[in-house]
Amino acid sequence: MVNRKTSPKEIALGAAFLLLLLVIVTFYILYQAEAIQLGYRVAGLEDRVTKLKEEIKKLETKKATLLSLRRVERIAREDLGLTDPKPGQVLYEGVDIPREKEGP
Amino acid sequence: MRGLFSNGMRTRALALAMVLAVWFVAAFGRLVHLQILKHGRLKAEVLEQSQDDMEVLPKRGTIYDRNGKILARSLPASSVFFSPLKSESASAQMEQVVRLKDRLGLSEKDLSRIRTRLQKKDTFIWIKRKIDPEAAGRVMGLNIKGIFLQDENKRAYPLGTLAAHVLGGVGIDDNGLAGVELQYDRLLEGEKGRRLILRDARRRSYQFETLKEAVPGKDLYLTIDETVQYIAETELEKAIAACGADWGTVIISDPKTGEVLAIANRPVYDPNDYPPAVPGEGVNRAIQHTFEPGSTFKIVTAAAARELGKVGLGETYDCREGSISVGGSPVRDHKLQGILSFPEVFIESSNVGAIKIAQEIGERNLFQMIKAFRFGERTGIDLPGEEYGICRPLSSWRKSSLRIAIGYEISVTAVQLLGAMNVFAARGRLIRPSISLGTGVGGLSGPVNQEPLKVLSEGTASELAEIFKRVVEEGTGLPAKLEGFEIAGKTGTAQKLDEELGRYSSARHLASFVGFVPADDPVISMIIVLDEPKGLMQYGGQVAAPVFRDISARVLRYLRAAPKPKAETLVTAKMAKASRP
Repeated sequence: MVNRKTSPKEIALGAAFLLLLLVIVTFYILYQAEAIQLGYRVAGLEDRVTKLKEEIKKLETKKATLLSLRRVERIAREDLGLTDPKPGQVLYEGVDIPREKEGP
Repeated sequence: MRGLFSNGMRTRALALAMVLAVWFVAAFGRLVHLQILKHGRLKAEVLEQSQDDMEVLPKRGTIYDRNGKILARSLPASSVFFSPLKSESASAQMEQVVRLKDRLGLSEKDLSRIRTRLQKKDTFIWIKRKIDPEAAGRVMGLNIKGIFLQDENKRAYPLGTLAAHVLGGVGIDDNGLAGVELQYDRLLEGEKGRRLILRDARRRSYQFETLKEAVPGKDLYLTIDETVQYIAETELEKAIAACGADWGTVIISDPKTGEVLAIANRPVYDPNDYPPAVPGEGVNRAIQHTFEPGSTFKIVTAAAARELGKVGLGETYDCREGSISVGGSPVRDHKLQGILSFPEVFIESSNVGAIKIAQEIGERNLFQMIKAFRFGERTGIDLPGEEYGICRPLSSWRKSSLRIAIGYEISVTAVQLLGAMNVFAARGRLIRPSISLGTGVGGLSGPVNQEPLKVLSEGTASELAEIFKRVVEEGTGLPAKLEGFEIAGKTGTAQKLDEELGRYSSARHLASFVGFVPADDPVISMIIVLDEPKGLMQYGGQVAAPVFRDISARVLRYLRAAPKPKAETLVTAKMAKASRP
């Protein structure tokens, strides 16, 4: 068996290879870490979008409750003192309805 | 010395080698154990920890009224469940649950149910279903071992009791149980989906993978108009409070299309708390309750008489005796009448006159007309549980069955009776009533209403509509009269059968009024039924007709149907002719 002396060129080549491998591995790890981080953000944002959509629906439903005619009528009559219109007080667009005693 | 050292070294090297060999064998054995023998189970555990295969519940479709107002919608809710640790005793597990008692408002019944399930060593126990997500968050803040949340949806009816019997209700799993929720359950519910969630070591999700997309339920647009519905309900409430009726129902429809604008019932329930606490509250009396209609059914007798040409308009009937025998039992008028013409029999709602007309028509012809109006059959309204009513076949008619001409010996639903009146409004056509406009935006892709059936000639329908107009102008329906509008209608007061005594009661009535307005070009048709009004006023003309008037006044104003100007009060201003320059 003959011991062959490793040439500096071969050492440099080996070192370069190791360095390249290190760079690739580092890049891969960074890429993976970044992808996972982005995954968290996307998941978080998707979750937020879903929650906001649900919130909108909830608010629309609440609005429907607040605008329920029973509630509106109660407020109109009890709080604002409004009453039903008397005959002749309702005007119909494009229709001639006689008014009480108009001038000659 | 060197030998000793060599021996010692060799021994130690041997010992080390043996230790290493044992360690290697142990490690190798462990690896075989983990990687080969327990591979399946461990892989499953890893997958369980790193990913979740979740069922994605579809959103149930929203129900809107005809103008896009929300009537029912599913909102997110959280359900609390308990997955107890196996190492703990049932009593220790129960202690954990009891900590939630006040926060979740758990009743003794709830606790008893949970205790039983724990004793059975169940691994999944619902603690409380469908609570507010914020309240659920506070529960999780307590950090109780084994308590988890499940995302669900809860059906919300923002208008409370409004249109409750039309909407129906859903069960705890959001499945339709009544009303349109049941009728259109498959359309509203959608399809469940599946989602794979990848998690890191801290159980944080970082990636979603949809295995099967959840298909949300379709939205549904109804023919119901929130405002018309509200008017019907408030006026019905007032009427029941005034006359003390046991129950009442109102249906309002567009007689030209059969679209139902409102179905109001009292008593009522809140669909947010379905099923109703009192079983009777859930009955949609507009379609699920049958009754002997009384005089409102005379519209069919009139139709048979005129359509078959058996009776002329000018024929008269002697009703002065005030009573007539039918099958051995007397039929009486509500007041003494004179000699009445054909129209007057209906304007004055004479039972004697109607029986005499029926005798002229003949049983077979009368029966054929009743069947032409489809009594004894479902109208086909798209609501579940519609009753057929009872219309005996001609072969089983008795001698007293001619009383059918005045609305006895037959059972009908309110929606059937309204459908019959709509025939006169729609100039002889029988149109199927409908409650759904469809699923598209604005309800444009709705079910196509089947071809209307021609029941009467246009001439007969118009002629009888004129007579029904006079019912309100000068007859029993006078209290329905509304300034500026011509109403065609018919009153009804049916004595109720006293089952204990086996005869009709003179104290218990079912009052009704059915009609349409404006009579010449109908915008709405309506039926009002009040069961057992109390006090002095119990007739349909006295208690139901005013409800028709009050509802019509408000609904017509809302629908911008202008009243007819009164000719005698119409004053026209004349402009003085200006001289041209």
